Amino acid sequence: MKHFEYMQAESFADAAATLKENTDHRISVMAGGTDLLGALKEDILEDYPETVIGLKGIKEADYIEFSGDTVEIGAMTRLSAIASSDEIAARAPILAEAAYSVATPIIRNVATIGGNVCQDVRCWFYRYPHQIGERFDCMRKGGNECYAIRGDNRYHSIFGGMKTHATPCEVECPAATDIPAYMERMRAGDIHAAARIIMEANPIPMITSRVCAHTCQEKCNRNNTDESVAIHLVERRIGDYILEHAEEFYAPPTAETGKSAALVGSGPAGLAAAYYLRSAGHSVTVIDSQEEPGGMLTYAIPSYRLPKHYVKDLADAYRKMGVKFMMNTTIGKDISAEELEKRYDKVFLATGAWQRPVLGFDGEEFTEFGLQFLKEVKQWVGKKERQNVLVVGGGNVAMDVAVTAKRLGAKSVTLACLEGKLEMPASAEEVARAVEEGVTVMNGFGVSRLLYDGEKINGMELVTCVSVFDQNGRFNPTYDHDSKTVVEADSVLVAAGQKADLSFIEEKYSIALNRGLIKVDEGTQKTSRSGVFAGGDATTGPATVIKAVRTGRLAAEAINREFGIETPKRFSKPGFITYDTEGAQNGTAVRERELPAAERSLEKEDSFTIGGEECLTEAKRCMNCGCYSVNASDISPALIALDAEIVTTKRTIGADAFFTTKLEARDMLDRDELVVSIRFSVPSGFKMGYKKFRVRNAIDFAIVSLAYLYKVEAGKITDAKLVLGGVAPTPIRAKEAESAMIGQAPSAELAGKAAESAIEGAAVMKDNAYKVQIVRALVKQMVAAMR
Amino acid sequence: MIKKDCIVLSINGRKFKFSVGTGFGDVSPSETLTHTLRRRLGYTGSKESCDAGACGCCAVIADGEAIASCMALTVEMDGKSITTIEGLEDPIEGLDPIQQAFIDEYSFQCGYCTPGIIMVAKALFMSNPHPTANEISEALSGNYCRCISQYTVLRALNKLAGNENAELATFTRASDEVEDPIPVRQELYLSPYANGHVCAHSLD
Repeated sequence: MKHFEYMQAESFADAAATLKENTDHRISVMAGGTDLLGALKEDILEDYPETVIGLKGIKEADYIEFSGDTVEIGAMTRLSAIASSDEIAARAPILAEAAYSVATPIIRNVATIGGNVCQDVRCWFYRYPHQIGERFDCMRKGGNECYAIRGDNRYHSIFGGMKTHATPCEVECPAATDIPAYMERMRAGDIHAAARIIMEANPIPMITSRVCAHTCQEKCNRNNTDESVAIHLVERRIGDYILEHAEEFYAPPTAETGKSAALVGSGPAGLAAAYYLRSAGHSVTVIDSQEEPGGMLTYAIPSYRLPKHYVKDLADAYRKMGVKFMMNTTIGKDISAEELEKRYDKVFLATGAWQRPVLGFDGEEFTEFGLQFLKEVKQWVGKKERQNVLVVGGGNVAMDVAVTAKRLGAKSVTLACLEGKLEMPASAEEVARAVEEGVTVMNGFGVSRLLYDGEKINGMELVTCVSVFDQNGRFNPTYDHDSKTVVEADSVLVAAGQKADLSFIEEKYSIALNRGLIKVDEGTQKTSRSGVFAGGDATTGPATVIKAVRTGRLAAEAINREFGIETPKRFSKPGFITYDTEGAQNGTAVRERELPAAERSLEKEDSFTIGGEECLTEAKRCMNCGCYSVNASDISPALIALDAEIVTTKRTIGADAFFTTKLEARDMLDRDELVVSIRFSVPSGFKMGYKKFRVRNAIDFAIVSLAYLYKVEAGKITDAKLVLGGVAPTPIRAKEAESAMIGQAPSAELAGKAAESAIEGAAVMKDNAYKVQIVRALVKQMVAAMR
Repeated sequence: MIKKDCIVLSINGRKFKFSVGTGFGDVSPSETLTHTLRRRLGYTGSKESCDAGACGCCAVIADGEAIASCMALTVEMDGKSITTIEGLEDPIEGLDPIQQAFIDEYSFQCGYCTPGIIMVAKALFMSNPHPTANEISEALSGNYCRCISQYTVLRALNKLAGNENAELATFTRASDEVEDPIPVRQELYLSPYANGHVCAHSLD
């Protein structure tokens, strides 16, 4: 064992005070030590304590007291004392049996009841010793993956897992969509609930699923072994469902608040903000200088990626919801920003990044701006005036420009960007599409000068880019000016470095900027002006649609807060999380069906929404990452059955809340809080006991345990309480079985019925279905022995 | 809070005083009792086998109770009286009766687990001079023997406890409630030691 300091506590208050004072110090508290020393020896946690506080010196906490019907057991009472106490055996045999079942006599002589209720799990992945091939960084330890989901899970949960923290896919999503939660609803066949979960984070999934870079898929834990879940395909199906049921999902608010908000820009940020503000009951006006709503969605993203009718239908749904669109209105020209602030309670600026940058090379004035090209693409259709096109830029806009130029009929399209293949800001799929359609991608080149003859373009001189970012990670390209290449082209489209559109800012209007972007507070999107918020590309520079959605939602939430409306609590399913055992083993993702390259055009969408069955198959591949271990304590199910109370240095917590609220019972305690004693009243007239199934009759932890209490009066069961241990992340009450038994006379038939009820809702893993049979057997045995 | 600089343990009747810390020769706070006994004092009778409290090879008696010494920190043993297998033999009377019974019944094979078993048995006999066969089995349930010496261990201890006629080892089988059990012809597969009876082929 590695070294640590040791301090002996004289009292619980003493230990608590030390824990409170030394917050910067890693301290572990040790009762009997049989759990903690094992963990320290094997070095299973990265967080090794600097100091261990030993509680063994607190002699006054070693007691079993009876006063009337109440039994109180000090936290430092050893399990051997509880197991051998005649009085406990007579009054609460359930506890005596549970204590007696723990490990072996030589462990029970040291282990305490306080330590037992706070013990860590016995998942062998979690407990994998660091010395032999490094510890597993599992979800329970703050890592990303639960290895038991697809690994050996004989000893794991048969009732599902518990969420530990946000999954990597969820963290990666700028809008923080709860992906595993909606996948679980999809598996349950409830697309409606799945849609609601998405809408909490992102009101335009029919659009994001088509155009988002879905980096969530890059973080999917399945990537470690096979293929990521095709999250965007499932999202797309749900998005289409939402649009088909638009009246339901974009329902007008039930009550008006009388407050008003003006949203400048109808792109994704504006649309997101509009949805959440309108849902809260405010009067929402979206102002845009273009003819159609949607901003970049309508004007920059090509139809083959996002057919325009989706944006139109969405805007129509918004109108039915009561959102007012004021189109063809330019801020700073038709109406001033100051005037807006006067007319509306709150203003949200999301004007986007539409401005052409000045790259500053010779001949720049003869080149075209990529966004303008995309915007006006319709008028180019049919005119084959571009033969050899050079696109400058490495983002998704550049890809769209290149592919569009190619589909317009250009003979050759070359794309030059500063970044190397792996650094390109465009998503890999978009790059692949461009390459598939014959675009030549040149990585690591910057522009040097245009080669032209009068107004006729001959080509472009490119210079090799050595590095794109400096040591601080800032965009600061350096070039090797001795290494130059010439690309012949008759048309050059610049699709890089689009700048925020801040033309609305007049001289008198002062708003803080930061490097050409509107400066906002992270999290609230507040600008330097009171009542004015901003979001989208105008605050971030050219970024993804989903990032804009995030800023729109955050701004709406902040505005709602200022209006005194709290953001509704996000969906959270009660109970444990589950996944599909077979789906988890399915290594192949559903493929997106696309038109063959030859059939692709500018207008028709390239890909199709997947069918319901494929969608279900894919949703089943989501592992619903969480912790699927089981509680190891024998004492905790018994205490829940007894309705005991856990007395700490700060308060008294009911056993049920203490053991079942959080993944780890210890998490119920503050850093400086310690369990002082266990208290319960002896239930009168009840028979009770503790059954434990394990492989070996000594030392082993329960594979399944059953703590039970019941009352039989006049041949009928009048009350019953069953708590199962070893089958779920926390002990669980078999409530269905309880209600199946109450009011019935014990019989073989009832035993079978109760057994079946006890396993209701079981969600077995690959290797642990046998546990279900053990649950049945224990319940049957219990009922069979009822008198 | 007490930070211990110095601890005193009575081991096999002798007092040992250790300074606690990280200096040369100091007992580190993270040192287990097994380590102290074996590597510091040379009491190598108790064995470090699983180092996880599961095998019982390291069992010693602390203040009259058997504990797994690998699951105890030496600093926490301050003031306690420890007995190891080395302290069992009486200088005048000779071997402890349990030790003698083990020799008489040849209750070991490789002997690695034996010190732990004897110490656990000793603790049991100290608190209960006439344990029943079940009490003996239960007390020893934390001790593991891989050479299957437990039949002879139980025979020795039951003799000592006066359970001459006890069914020394019984088959415990899962109460299989299957409707059509596979018949097992017990008499054919019984180990000669299974019931503690002398077998025609055994040497004793």
